[in-house]
Amino acid sequence: MVLTLYGFSQSTCTRRVAVVCKELGIPYEFVAVNLAAGEHKTPAYLEKQPFGQVPAIDDDGFKLYESRAIARYLAAKAGSPLFPIYDPKKLAEFEVAASIEYSNFDPYVSRITYEKVVKPLRGLATDEAVVAERLAGLTAKLEAYEVILGKQKYLAGDEVTLADLFHLPYGSVLIQAGVDIFSTPNLKRWWDDISSRPSWQAVKHGV
Amino acid sequence: MVLTIYGFALTAGTRRITLVCKELNIPYEFVVVDLAAGEQKTPAYLQKQPFGQVPAIDDDGFKLYESRAIGRYLAAKAGSPLLPHSDPKKFGEFEVAASIEYSNFEPFASKIAHEKIYKPLQGLATDEAVVAERLAALTTKLETYEVILGKQKYLAGDEITLADLFHLPYGSALVQVGFDVFSTPNLKRWWNDISSRPSWQAVKDSA
Repeated sequence: MVLTLYGFSQSTCTRRVAVVCKELGIPYEFVAVNLAAGEHKTPAYLEKQPFGQVPAIDDDGFKLYESRAIARYLAAKAGSPLFPIYDPKKLAEFEVAASIEYSNFDPYVSRITYEKVVKPLRGLATDEAVVAERLAGLTAKLEAYEVILGKQKYLAGDEVTLADLFHLPYGSVLIQAGVDIFSTPNLKRWWDDISSRPSWQAVKHGV
Repeated sequence: MVLTIYGFALTAGTRRITLVCKELNIPYEFVVVDLAAGEQKTPAYLQKQPFGQVPAIDDDGFKLYESRAIGRYLAAKAGSPLLPHSDPKKFGEFEVAASIEYSNFEPFASKIAHEKIYKPLQGLATDEAVVAERLAALTTKLETYEVILGKQKYLAGDEITLADLFHLPYGSALVQVGFDVFSTPNLKRWWNDISSRPSWQAVKDSA
């Protein structure tokens, strides 16, 4: 039975799973969850994802949620080098890179996206002070990325992993919103590399 | 050669890994990084941790940082069930729980701890509005934890994993400042269980 992906076509986290499916050549059936109608808070959906968030998957009866967990599961199942679980040191270096993404990138980019992209869509005013603070914080973190990417091709080493790909959804939303965060040489090289991958091209405008 | 941990005892990240070392009976040498003197931003320390944060480790020449990556590395090396790698499904369920911790707990709990504990230590004023907002959001998330923990003993299933343990530093900080966030039946049961473990008792007030 084919993998079912429940989510919202434009959602960053839903596309995080979709890009990994494309990388691994895993076919999926996409089932849209109607966020505007509050479908994600219905009892039926809460059975799939108890926090009432998207995405969630059903893999032939095996249910999971949290996009980064889903991605690791799919990559582990496929035995893919995108998630190098067979080598403790490579796995450790991968987990450092994965931790960098959710600790040193996500808290900034998700808040900037909320202020600059989501709030206007809901008729709410952007808090420019918050955007400025988050952007300053992000810029400082990306200086460390620049150092890391000067020593190796990707965040976990010289091969691309899920940790790089996890940056694609929010990175792309921000660039689209006119926030040019990957402008220094190594960041630019890395970003151009990962964002031009066919897997991302396939889902960047929607799942 | 014994594992070296560079850190600062009262920080969450440092105690997250000293706790894992105690769980796994891994001896370590603890080297204090003088945060008050800005040692974490010196060129020498930035070689260990390019973001200038604690902790970092040196395991017989193998260098890592990011506490949750370090925790996974040590558990994987020890072949411990705290990190269930045996099959993609168990692993997927673990990663869901780990993702819940850093997405649905950490952003709220860490901000509250920062406002109520770390800012006063630096002579800065607590922003009570931020605390109230984060606490309200955290309380909502913990309602879902209550549901999950009504179906299984721990966050990833019926056995304890790193995902449960990773909550201890900030969870304890919340309790310390008087926020009784683990008060509903299943949360109380789970919290009493994990916080009474000898490993946490050994490191909660020091390294």
